[in-house]
Amino acid sequence: MAPGWDHVSESRRDEQKLWLILFKIKGVRSRLNFLALQHWLCSTMALLIGAVGLTFLAAATFGPLTFLGVAIFLMLAAIAGIVRETRVARAMRASGARAAAIADERSQMKGRLTTVLALAGTPKRSPLWAYLVEDTYGRRDDYEPSRIEPRWMSRAVLPLLASILLAALTLPFARFSQARRRIAPPTGAGAPGQITADIRNLDIRPADPALQPNAEIYADPETLRKLEDKLASAENSDRNSGRGLSKLLNKARDFADAFQDKLTGRNSNDRQPTRLRLTDSNPGQSAKPNRGAANPGKSPSTNGGGNGLADNSQPGASGPAQPGAAQKSQPPITSLPAQQADELAANNPAPPASGPDQAQRGADRSSDAGGAGNANVGNGSNHGSGSEPANLFGPESAQPLGSDSFKIAIEAEPSDEASSPGSPAYVPPKVRVPLNSNQYPDQPLARASVPADDENTIKRVFER
Amino acid sequence: MNEAQTAATAEQPTIADFARTFRRIQAEIHKVIIGHEQAVEELLSALFAGGHVLIEGVPGTGKTTLVKTLGLALNLSFNRIQFTVDLMPADITGTRVILSGADGRREFSFQPGPIFCHILLGDEINRATPKTQSALLEAMAELQVTVSGTTYPLAPPYFVMATLNPIEMEGTYPLPEAQLDRFLFKVRLGYPGEEELVRIISSTTGPAEAGVEPVFEPAEAAQRIEALKRLVREVIVAPPIEQYAARMVRATQPANSRVLGDMHAPIQVDAVNRYVSFGASPRGALALILGAKVRAMLDGRANIAYDDIDRVAPAALDHRIMLNYAAQSDNVDAARIVEQVVKAVRATRA
Repeated sequence: MAPGWDHVSESRRDEQKLWLILFKIKGVRSRLNFLALQHWLCSTMALLIGAVGLTFLAAATFGPLTFLGVAIFLMLAAIAGIVRETRVARAMRASGARAAAIADERSQMKGRLTTVLALAGTPKRSPLWAYLVEDTYGRRDDYEPSRIEPRWMSRAVLPLLASILLAALTLPFARFSQARRRIAPPTGAGAPGQITADIRNLDIRPADPALQPNAEIYADPETLRKLEDKLASAENSDRNSGRGLSKLLNKARDFADAFQDKLTGRNSNDRQPTRLRLTDSNPGQSAKPNRGAANPGKSPSTNGGGNGLADNSQPGASGPAQPGAAQKSQPPITSLPAQQADELAANNPAPPASGPDQAQRGADRSSDAGGAGNANVGNGSNHGSGSEPANLFGPESAQPLGSDSFKIAIEAEPSDEASSPGSPAYVPPKVRVPLNSNQYPDQPLARASVPADDENTIKRVFER
Repeated sequence: MNEAQTAATAEQPTIADFARTFRRIQAEIHKVIIGHEQAVEELLSALFAGGHVLIEGVPGTGKTTLVKTLGLALNLSFNRIQFTVDLMPADITGTRVILSGADGRREFSFQPGPIFCHILLGDEINRATPKTQSALLEAMAELQVTVSGTTYPLAPPYFVMATLNPIEMEGTYPLPEAQLDRFLFKVRLGYPGEEELVRIISSTTGPAEAGVEPVFEPAEAAQRIEALKRLVREVIVAPPIEQYAARMVRATQPANSRVLGDMHAPIQVDAVNRYVSFGASPRGALALILGAKVRAMLDGRANIAYDDIDRVAPAALDHRIMLNYAAQSDNVDAARIVEQVVKAVRATRA
């Protein structure tokens, strides 16, 4: 071969060696960038999944406002984390020069790769260039991409797996919590149809905005009209007093509640409605709105219960929630003639115990009564006379009932659904109803004969 | 080795030749100089980088011996000037004197001073006045001497080694900054350790003196050294490394608007802003790169790495940093400043 051809072939070999060196640097760069991409994807997914899982957990655990706070915090933390991880991933991203520098450092090539890469495109090269290329090529095993960066998977996969695990544990927990709540009877939910209230003694108070409307009111048209007047009056007084932050807070609470329901799949309509029969003891006189009850902190209540309620009312719920609750939580008002309403209230059977707790509670109540084993003994608070259904409430008494009223607390919602744990418990509105003809002033129930339909049931309960 | 081969080697030495020659000179010097490995390496690095060296050390640490040994090992012409307060520039550069010719005719003739040599040792250079010290400036920077309007070139290689005695400052004249800047490296010679001291005692108090064998033949010494110096210049520097060196020099400069204008260094080192009046000049960057090139060749590389820059930074930048009074009161020396600068700049590597 002619000497000229030798030179050409040698030059071509040098170019091939240079190409191979550059190709390996490219391989290192690809690996580093692939890992950076993986890091970004995995860490972002981990943050998102973790935040969603924790949000579900918060939805199942906390009240609306706390949930809202936690959800906002989680959202902000996730956004901050994603921004941070994006920056980290950007910093991890390697340009050609950076890949060469990393390869130099990890393979102890002492700047050879950086120099080759930087000067590969330079037309005027040093006489030592060939030496540098040859020297670098000779050490090509040291900077194999697999040696420079042996990992194929980013370490960010671990947080991703952890967050997936967290989410996998959180979802069943949230469902379990929801199911438990469905099984548990609403605290204080009285038997439907058994509550009767006089509209004059009805205190309209702000409901906890977190609670959904869940009551049915039966009354004659005249009483219903009075109720509407009362509601309108309460709304007006509240409109004047409630503004600003508390309104915003209530809106937030409503939003959080709806969101929480959406997340947990809870349906407010599933709850047992409270049925209230509204009567008017003084039909001729128009019912004056009870300002004391509507705004209990400002004016004294006529029935004495208003003050107590005012003391227990939540500050956040006392203002603007009142009309909102009255309007939004307006119960389904059914206009019925008085007689028909009475019949409905009387005939509407109590719903069966929806769970073991309720049955147990019934049994406990019966056992309390039966435990005395001696009807009409003592101060009259014991109505039971053993397990004999016929004597359960004692013999029917002809004792005239007094005109005093007693208080019935209508707990429209279970108390554990208060806005936030630890905050003052929601005090349900109280209604003052006059005693009926079979009631004593200090006895919640007048003695009466056991209904024939219930005899067998009661017997069975007490025989168990 | 025949003459043709010798000539070829002298013309085109390889990186391996360089490393071999360097190590051989080192070995010859260490026959006499016990210890001071780093100082010797820096001295030789400065020689092959084409610079000059300022040697600082307490009396008795072998400064003069080191320089003399180097001259012997290189087999180059060597002169020594003991700087004193009454030394005049003409005593260094030479002067024109009236000489009588064979025909009885008298004429002015230039008598070269001790500066005309390959290796010059300026012993205790800070004892001479600044006027005399500055007589070296032209020779060091431009390899020429101008006397009475006539310029006389100096034969390459030309290597000045000046020693400084840091403890006897009475009656001394600190070197002007311009002259300090012309020294490529400042080499510190400390006290030897116990083991080294024992070896010094046994090797110098016996009947036999250690003989230094010249590495080069007298005829080819200068040529070969010049060829090796040219080879050093060929070492490849990647742009990121140049930027690194520039960044390091900039980091030695304090945020002093009077000097830097609006071009403050992007890397701010607290110690620099607090203790430094003036940082390194552009000559500092050249010193970094040239010293790094020598180090790369010693390592068998045709390119310099970041670590080479870091390694030569103390010797190249130490004497270029002017400290302020705060540094003196806090007992902070330039070496500590350079250390912090290197640490700060290292974090900015690609």
